[in-house]
Formats: sequence, structure tokens, C-alpha cells
Amino acid sequence: MESFWVALKAIFVKDVIVELRARQVLPTMVVLGMLIVYILRLVSEPASGAAPLVGAAALWVAFLFCGLLAQERSFAAEQHQGCMDGLLLAPCDPGTIYLAKLCVNVVVLCVFEVIIVPVVLIVFRLSVGARWPDLLAVLLLGNIGISSVGTLFSAAVQLARTRGSLLSIIVLVILMPLMVPATFALLVLFGALPEEVGGSGSLAFVGSFKAAAGYMLAFDAVFVVACWLLFAVVVEE
Amino acid sequence: MTLCVRSVSKRFAARRVLNNIDLDLDGGQALCLCGANGAGKSTLLRVIAGLLRPDNGSLALDGYDVRKDCERYKRRLGVISHASMIYAELTVRENLAFAAALHGMRKPAARVEELLNDTALAAFRHDRAGILSRGLLQRLAIARALLHRPGLLLADEPFTGLDNEATALLVSLFRRFVDDGGAIVIVTHDVRLGLECCQRVAVLDAGRFRLDAMKTDIDCDRFAQDYLSYARNDSWNRSGSH
Amino acid sequence: MRRLLFILAVFLLTASTWMALTAGQIVPVQRNILYAHVPSSICALLCFVVLLVAGIGYLAGGRDIWDMIAVASAEVGLVYATILNATGMIFSRAEWNVWWTPSPRLITSAILWFLYVVYLVLRVNLPGSRRRRARICAVFGIIAFLDVPMVFLSARFIPDMHRPSFSFESTWQSAALALAMIATVLLGTAMIWLRTDSLRNTLRLEEQFLA
Repeated sequence: MESFWVALKAIFVKDVIVELRARQVLPTMVVLGMLIVYILRLVSEPASGAAPLVGAAALWVAFLFCGLLAQERSFAAEQHQGCMDGLLLAPCDPGTIYLAKLCVNVVVLCVFEVIIVPVVLIVFRLSVGARWPDLLAVLLLGNIGISSVGTLFSAAVQLARTRGSLLSIIVLVILMPLMVPATFALLVLFGALPEEVGGSGSLAFVGSFKAAAGYMLAFDAVFVVACWLLFAVVVEE
Repeated sequence: MTLCVRSVSKRFAARRVLNNIDLDLDGGQALCLCGANGAGKSTLLRVIAGLLRPDNGSLALDGYDVRKDCERYKRRLGVISHASMIYAELTVRENLAFAAALHGMRKPAARVEELLNDTALAAFRHDRAGILSRGLLQRLAIARALLHRPGLLLADEPFTGLDNEATALLVSLFRRFVDDGGAIVIVTHDVRLGLECCQRVAVLDAGRFRLDAMKTDIDCDRFAQDYLSYARNDSWNRSGSH
Repeated sequence: MRRLLFILAVFLLTASTWMALTAGQIVPVQRNILYAHVPSSICALLCFVVLLVAGIGYLAGGRDIWDMIAVASAEVGLVYATILNATGMIFSRAEWNVWWTPSPRLITSAILWFLYVVYLVLRVNLPGSRRRRARICAVFGIIAFLDVPMVFLSARFIPDMHRPSFSFESTWQSAALALAMIATVLLGTAMIWLRTDSLRNTLRLEEQFLA
């Protein structure tokens, strides 16, 4: 058990140091994220009443696409000098490698979040008031869900020449269901929807904030466990 | 230390790369594995390293099966491959510290220093691995492989790109490793170097062992000149070769 | 046996169509598309289950036949998912005058279609050995299968504003639908079988000529 934590911590720290020194991913992510936010702001100007919805969508789209950059990089870095073999030769379960890489991707997205969330709030003129903790929680749940699937399949597509686009289509199709409650939760926090929405009518959503957060938690739990268990299969030669 | 390989076969698409390979290796033995390109040497090494799953057969190191006791198996194994498995952004010392942590070594500082001195890398300990020459990188790879005191060392073309000084250092490291009770399998095209390091030679030809004998039982000069035709022409009884 | 399945499937489909067009006609007329829509939806989901089981079978045993069944069921499943989406859109247009609306049913059908497409794209584009491709596709199949109930649940956050209220009025209609479902499942089975055989023969030829 102790060797599990030692290996996990070692891979995590190594990846963080390598990223801090190489500085390849985070700057690109930030630029891409800001571009996505600005483009969506510009094109939604005629319908400025829909700012909360477009703002929420912009935030999740930025998370998805910038997250893909981070996830692709997390295993691309291991392709140089056969470093992936080095990890697989370690006397630890391959799932440990997955969990460490997952933690790194979550942390990178958290750093990205610190930059992009204020940009979205300013550009779309949104506010969460006193519900900062709820916003952070929702973003973290979305972050973990996005990273869980992306980390697994990043290892799977590494040898492909079109690995970026392959990873994108896999991650986007699997994460489609997560985006609905995620957007609902953000809309509640931006004040565009009440805490609980029921019945039909002109509103685009039903459900409650608690249900949305609960769904995201369940989604994360299912996929983190499934991806962790299946990682050994994916990295086997 | 005992390595036990039984009836290992491996196919890639329709091609049989390894064909019912048996191999026994004890501590204190160094085996030089030769063969033409595509004979299956690197594949065999990857299978023994646990990086490649064979289609059938079994492998055990000190009685620990590669699949069932994977962790214990890998603890006893050190690998030097074509690629250095070194991170360019980390320093020499950081690379070794990382490898030590992966192997669960709690206080590796002393062992890291010892290996930096043994591989003459002490002066480069704070340099990023990305700026090292091929020869220095190979030494770092060797230090990485020996860090956790494995019982079996697998070396795939370890002498490629090394100058005379580095080669001599590597040969002495291998000899010391074997003298300390470790076992080595070296894959090399430089047969003379292989014969220098090892007491046992084997030739892999089309997925099978064509020859497996002690150095003292063969004509080393003829073997070094053309090992393939030597192995094919002379009839070698594998059961009597250990 | 396979020929028998095909003949039986065609016979049952004909019988169900005849029944639907005569005694089993639903009013208004566009709702008759349900005779194609519902069986396709059942089959598309069943093919997904076969894909999952075959993927698990391959990972557990490593036998190529499981992989071939997985690919075959993905291809057949894609056909049914396409029919499902197409009939759903035609129904939506006729009933509510919109080609598409984000109702849970339509969203689930669309995601199912996308999952099949991504599986087949991966199948073609993943590099490496055939075994590696098969393994990764099996993993994707398992993750995708876990995704489907997630889609059902997430769709609860979108109101099903156009919930069709429909019930069968006569036994002819139920019988026609039941026959159509049996026929579609039989046809799907036969097609998966045929395609698996075709893939197996291709593999045998490849091994013979490359060996």
C-alpha cells in the first residue's frame, strides 16, 4: 500500500516539475480558452439576454477543449526516450500511473480554471455572489469527469498520427451527458435559473441544483473507477 | 537469482517471432544473445521484462511469475533498452530519484550518490538530462537500471554509440554486477564485446535458439567472425549446454 | 441455419408490414413509423449489449472471434441507429413540425449513433497491431456502455416537452409491432453472423498470404 502512495506521489511530482520546466501546455491552454470565450461572446452579442447560457457554455467548451490539450500532452511526454516503458517497468500496478496522471490533469485544469473563470465572469457580465464554493465544487466535478476519460484514452491513442482528433471525438462523445447537468448547475449559480425547476414551459431545464451536482458526482465516481480498472488493458503492448 | 522461461511463443500478425523458447539463467551468469535482425532478440527481452505478453508459455524470476506476482517480478529486474527512459527536463539526480521512488526506495540519496560515482556522472548531477551526450545518457540509463539492486539485468544493445572509455566502464560495471551474484542477458551485434562480458552465448535464429553454450565450449574466433553460420553449421545439443 | 434466419426474418417483416398496413393502421398516419422506429431502437440497444459482451469476451479470453463479433455488431448497430434517428426525425417533423428537438429520446438516439460511429472510426484509425486495436476498442465499448445509462439520466434535466402519448388500440397493432420486433432482431442476428464470418474469412486469407 505504501509503495502505491510513493509511486503515485513520485509520478505526480515528476509531471508537475516537467510541465513547469517545459511550459508547453498551460500557456497554450490559456490562450485557446480565452479565444473560445471571446469568440462565443462576440457571436452571442445580438442575443445578449442569453449571456448566462452562452457564458456557461463557453466555460464548459473551454474546459473540454483545453482539457484535451492537457490530456494529450500527459502521455505524449512519455513517448520520448521510451519513458512509458520506464513507468511500466516499475513494480506498481498500472492503475497507479493512471491515478497519478489523472491528478496531474485535474491540477492543470484547476490552474486553468483560476485564469479562465474570472475572464468568463467579466466578459459575460456574470456573478455568482456568495456561492463561490458551489461554483468551485461544480467546476471541480466537471474537471474530474473530463480528465478521467481523457487520461485513459490519451494513453490509448498515443501512437496514432491523428491522436489529437481521435482523442477529441472519443472524449466529446463520452462526456456529452455530463455537460447537461453541468450547464444546468452553472445556470443556477449565475442566477438564470431557480434552485429547483420543475414541469414544462419555456424553460430549457428541469431538475434541481442538488440533483445536478449529485449526477456529476455519480458520473465522476463511475468513470474514474472504470477508467482506473481498464488502464492496464490500454497500456499493454 | 534464477530466471526460468518455459515454452514462450509470440506471433505478430502471421509471423512467428518466438517459437517455444526455453531459457534458464542463474545468478552469476552473463548471457550474450546474438542473432540477425528480426530474429526475435528484442522481442524476447521485452517478453522477459514483462512489457510484452507472450501468446503462451511462462516466465518466473526467483519463483515469482511475471503475471501473478508482477510486482515482485519487476522488483528483481533492471532494463537497459534502446531508449534511455530518461526525462530530458529533469536533472541527472532527479531522474535517479524518480526511478528510486518508482521502485519504492525510501531513502535513496546514498544509493543515488553511489551510482553517480560508479558511472562517473557525479560532475553532471545537476545538469538537465536533455543536454547530455548519447554516451552520458547511456550511463545514466545504466545507473537507473541498477538503482534498485535488481537480480537480473536485461541490456538491449547497450554499447551502441559509446566511446571506448564509456564501453570499458560499462564492461566493468557488468562484470561487477555478475561477480556480485546478478545475472545479465546482453543483446548485442558487437560479438567480441559480448564475448568479453559474458561466459555464455546463445544465437537466436528465426525465433528459436540455434545455439546455447558456454564460451569455453565454442571456438570464439570463428564464432565472432560469423556467429550465424557457426550456429547453423555446427550441431548443438541444447540439453547438454548448461 | 443463417439462411433460415434470413428467410424467417423477411417473412415476419412482410407479415408485420401487411398487418400494419391493413388492420393495424394507426391514426394519424405518421405514427405508423413506430413500426420501424421501435424495433430499430430495441435492436440498436441490443447490438450495443452484444458489443459490450464481445468486448469483455475478447479481453477475458483473447480469442479473435469475440473481436469480430464486436465489430460486426457495431456495424449492424450503426445501421439500426441510423434508421432509429431517421425515423425519429421523420416522426418529429410530421407530429410537431420540427426535424429535431432536444427531447431525451432523440438525444439518446443521437448519442447512441455517435458512439457507434466513434467505435468504427477508432477501429479504422488506431495504429498498432490488430490485437491492440481490438483491446482498445473493447475498452471503448465498455466505457461507452457505461455512458448509455448516464445519457438516460442526464436527459432528465431537459423537459420532454413533446412526450408522445400513445397506446395500442387493437391487438392487430400489438401483434404487428411484436412481429416487427422479432423480425428485426432475427435480421440483426443474421447480419451479425454473416459479417462475423466475412471478417473471419478475411483474417484467414490475410494470414495465409502473409505467412
